[in-house]
Amino acid sequence: MNAGDPQGARKGSDKPPIVIYENVVKRFGTFTALNGVSAQVNAGEVVCLIGPSGSGKTTLLRCTNVLETIDGGRIVFEGAPIGSTPNQARAVRQRMGMVFQNFELFPHMTALENVAVGPLTVLGIDKESATRKAQALLDKVGLSTKGSNYPSALSGGQQQRVAIARALAMDPEMMLFDEPTSALDPETVGEVLNVMKKLAEDGMTMVVVTHEMAFAQRVGDWIVVFDHGRIVEQGPPQQIFDAPTEERTRDFLGHLGWTG
Amino acid sequence: MEFDFSPLLMNWRFLGNGVIVTILLSIVSAVGATMLGGTIGLARAYGPRWVTVPLAFYVDTMRAIPVLVVLIWTYFAFPLVAGITLPHFAAASLALILHIAAYVSEIVRSGVGSVRPGQTRAGLALGMSKAQVVRKIVLPQAIVRVLPAYGSILSITIKDTAIATVIAVPEFMHQSETIASQSLRPMEVFTTAMVIYFLLLFPVTRGVDRIYRRVAHLGRS
Amino acid sequence: MNYDWSVIWDFRSELASGVWTTIQLTFATMAVAIPGGLTIMLLRQSRFRLLSWFGTFFTEFFRNLPLILVIYWVFYILPTLMPNVDFPPFATGLVALALGVSAYNAETFRAGVNSIRKGQTEAAMALGMSRWQVMRKVVLPQAFRRILPMLASTWVSLFKDTSLVSVIAVADLTYTALEIRAKNYRILEMLTAMAVIYWCLGYPQAKFVDWMYRKIGVTE
Repeated sequence: MNAGDPQGARKGSDKPPIVIYENVVKRFGTFTALNGVSAQVNAGEVVCLIGPSGSGKTTLLRCTNVLETIDGGRIVFEGAPIGSTPNQARAVRQRMGMVFQNFELFPHMTALENVAVGPLTVLGIDKESATRKAQALLDKVGLSTKGSNYPSALSGGQQQRVAIARALAMDPEMMLFDEPTSALDPETVGEVLNVMKKLAEDGMTMVVVTHEMAFAQRVGDWIVVFDHGRIVEQGPPQQIFDAPTEERTRDFLGHLGWTG
Repeated sequence: MEFDFSPLLMNWRFLGNGVIVTILLSIVSAVGATMLGGTIGLARAYGPRWVTVPLAFYVDTMRAIPVLVVLIWTYFAFPLVAGITLPHFAAASLALILHIAAYVSEIVRSGVGSVRPGQTRAGLALGMSKAQVVRKIVLPQAIVRVLPAYGSILSITIKDTAIATVIAVPEFMHQSETIASQSLRPMEVFTTAMVIYFLLLFPVTRGVDRIYRRVAHLGRS
Repeated sequence: MNYDWSVIWDFRSELASGVWTTIQLTFATMAVAIPGGLTIMLLRQSRFRLLSWFGTFFTEFFRNLPLILVIYWVFYILPTLMPNVDFPPFATGLVALALGVSAYNAETFRAGVNSIRKGQTEAAMALGMSRWQVMRKVVLPQAFRRILPMLASTWVSLFKDTSLVSVIAVADLTYTALEIRAKNYRILEMLTAMAVIYWCLGYPQAKFVDWMYRKIGVTE
């Protein structure tokens, strides 16, 4: 349960929101993945996107850092609407970190090099500083001794933690997580969720697409429920998980075997 | 610089016959190479050592020698050792079949080897004989998997028929050369020849591509 | 029918010089066709419609033509395009071969780049890298393992295809052997020698390509 929030007041609503989604539409050919989605992400909030597969939650995440371009509506990031030119996209991506379901570590680089590659290549930081920073981040995610290992020598959970460190190395404003634990063995899911929990406690703004309902309930500040490209319901975890107002939310949680 | 395409128009029948010979030579070579190469590939994959070793030598030899050299040797030198006369078309067919069969055998051999051993074991567990397993389980999957490579071999076959011009086979390249030197209009003639060859070759590769996309799932195990 | 195999020895220096020309032509063509193929592939990926169309057209056109025809065509078109320049046959052969091999290399580079999972590109872009940085730091280093054996295979094919420039009187091994045959009528001896010399040069190359695929090739 989240501490101290008076009912009705969202976390971070005293500051301007980091991201505002205004009627976002995204189509793939004849298939409409997002059908007018409106929501916002406040500073320091952990927003969890949940819903059945294909409901649009991952698509919205990918539109946020312009890995997909939207067909309608707009996304406002830090007060300015996101443009679609390559340079605008790159500028936005440098301020957001993304963690992928399949980790996507670069196999031809060591863990340390993976974490350092962002600052080195994109920010133009000198090699020594970038390496020092990378080592500090590896310490932070609990992998201080794994810097010289290649991804193939690391377990799934370790790889995902390196991926989180790699995204953090760019000092992003917010972090995007695309089903970060779906590809992991059950034993290693915990170590990754713990890193994410610590990140949230340190105040990072996070948008997380996940099937881990326990995580969403305990760490999430705001839950958004998707179905067929639309938002069915959104609200604090107490509402969504304990007293959902929408039938479809109840259905979805029921199918997952969620008993609270 | 003015262009004069009239020699092409005047000799269209002559050139058309060349195209027919090209197509004929391509089909004969492709069919022959496929049958011979398929047999050799299977023999190398499943045969005993006294068979695989000489066949390996044959295949590697064909990979090492240019097709032009094989054509020339078959037409000029082979009759001397064999004591027979070989007409142009037959010599070209023989040379192309022998050369291209080596490449077909390679893809058959690797295609068969790429099917997971679990598939063979499953077939044997059902009580099939080795031969039945190969014929009913391994070969169909292997054929689907090597379709793209086979398509490119077909394309190479058609292109190699043009080399038969050096042993005076009256295929399209040869006919084009004749008209080009007769009419003193090589630019127009050879540019048109390029377009015609492109029109012959492009559908072959695209066609194989399309067939592969339809059946690719049948080869995935 | 008596055979005189000693003529091969008599003409060994001419044959050696033919071999040398063949080798030079192979190296020179690849030296042009590797950067050439890379350029064409990058053109094909360009955002400008005209450039990407040209890259695709170039690749598809030259991959679907017999090399011998391209050789003839270049032989006649070069003097027309640049009437005051005197083109030695070697240069003409080089241009024709380079056009064809560049197209094959462009396709090799494209296949290698496309074999890299999309997620890798996305992860690199998510860090804020430009397209060029993504290529250089993430895609090309990984695609290298697939591209190198294919380039080696193209090299061997090129080595064999140099024999085709003999039709425009470039003094490579084929042309040299055929000329000697025309002079001394030793058909079987010269033609067999030509085949054997190609075999001696080509066989180790083919085996090297096999080794390369085994060593660093990527299997699905």
